[in-house]
Amino acid sequence: MRIRPFDFKAAVSLQDALIQLDQSGPDAKVLAGGTDLVLNMKKKKILPSTVISLHSIKNLEYVEEKNGMIHIGAMAKHADLAINPILEKEVSILCQAVGLIGSWQVRNIGTIGGNLCNASPAADSAPPLLALDASVVIATLKGDKIIPITSFFCGPAQTIIKSNEILKEILIKKPVNPSAGCYLKLRRRKAVDISLAGVAFQAETDPTGKRIGQVKIALGGVAPTPIRVPDAETCLTGLCIDDAFEKIALCAQKAARASKPIDDVRATADYKSTIVNVFVQRCAQHVLTTLKNQRGKS
Amino acid sequence: MKHVRIHLVVNGEDYSLFITPNRVLLDVLREDLELTGTKEGCGLGKCGACTVLLDGRPVHACLTLALQADGCQITTIEGIGEKEVHPLQEAFIDKGAIQCGFCTPGMINTAKALLDANANPSEDEIKQAIAGNLCRCTGYNKIVDAIHSCGCQSEKEKGEVR
Repeated sequence: MRIRPFDFKAAVSLQDALIQLDQSGPDAKVLAGGTDLVLNMKKKKILPSTVISLHSIKNLEYVEEKNGMIHIGAMAKHADLAINPILEKEVSILCQAVGLIGSWQVRNIGTIGGNLCNASPAADSAPPLLALDASVVIATLKGDKIIPITSFFCGPAQTIIKSNEILKEILIKKPVNPSAGCYLKLRRRKAVDISLAGVAFQAETDPTGKRIGQVKIALGGVAPTPIRVPDAETCLTGLCIDDAFEKIALCAQKAARASKPIDDVRATADYKSTIVNVFVQRCAQHVLTTLKNQRGKS
Repeated sequence: MKHVRIHLVVNGEDYSLFITPNRVLLDVLREDLELTGTKEGCGLGKCGACTVLLDGRPVHACLTLALQADGCQITTIEGIGEKEVHPLQEAFIDKGAIQCGFCTPGMINTAKALLDANANPSEDEIKQAIAGNLCRCTGYNKIVDAIHSCGCQSEKEKGEVR
């Protein structure tokens, strides 16, 4: 399976990559891990005249904690993120999700920035980042832009990033109060499968630890883009943790109603909505129980 | 399309190659270096037959542009057990974990990376690790057995040293 010829540029810095990209015209593509781009070039779905690779740029794979924020370099690989100690401690939901992407081989070279920019509605890294209220830093020739991830995705394979811009970093606010998260993904087999539906559920208590300060629920694979479901979130926000268990069913119903899945080769829309309902319940049970137990310990 | 120079260290040997950018690592290994132990199965990153170790980590050589591996260490099946049969290869033979053999180079590479990181993996960890390596003879039980016995072996050896 041959790849059509293209010009290749290995950028030495992000600035260099932006200049090269600007000079190369709109059909140029940025290469991160290549697990999507190279595949699509093989299938002749994407035929770029120029490919600008970020692999020689140093220091785009970091995970750092600074002033209450977690910074993740766009070139950080799924396999590394899945076992990163900072992420495991603060936002384990992201580790859970990226650890379910593809195979070990894919996770060893695929990057979180690439997964987001590929913008599959079912991308596993997206729902946890939505549920963590993350932002993305987009590098442009005029300087960096910070955009909430809720406005990053525009449609299947479409993002807000312009053809001469590059995703540079993901920003996550570190939870201040006790928090817990859960990501569940429906697949036809246990490994190496695209998500039929993914549910990310993240909750943080209020400063007392007794009430739910905030709940964020995000769905993947059941709408043209990964989505948040605010109606479902408000069902639980502000409640005492013990009382919240009774509202789980309502919350799950609202999440399922807010999803907009389509019938496709993998499953029917009805089935996917039902799964959203079931998974939101399971996630909520797990997260609320974790929060309850954390309080018991402290 | 301009040719580009890349440097690869394959199985400990330095190679300086002049290639076109549109070539994947798998093709360069097989065609330019004549290391045909690495197999092309699906060519789409689904079957794992082309698994090689890039700086010690299993990746699909069919989805990695050779240019992405510039300056990296690559291990192919030819580099495993070069002088004598590797314990993993021994275990695959002993347990009958080879049927048609097409998945074996990729399978051994993934297993080696697993054992390098975790000398005594559980059955579940082995299954997770080789989830991306398909065996269409479906000889998975024997493959898992082989990797498991090799893990136990290395654990035993450690015990003897102590």
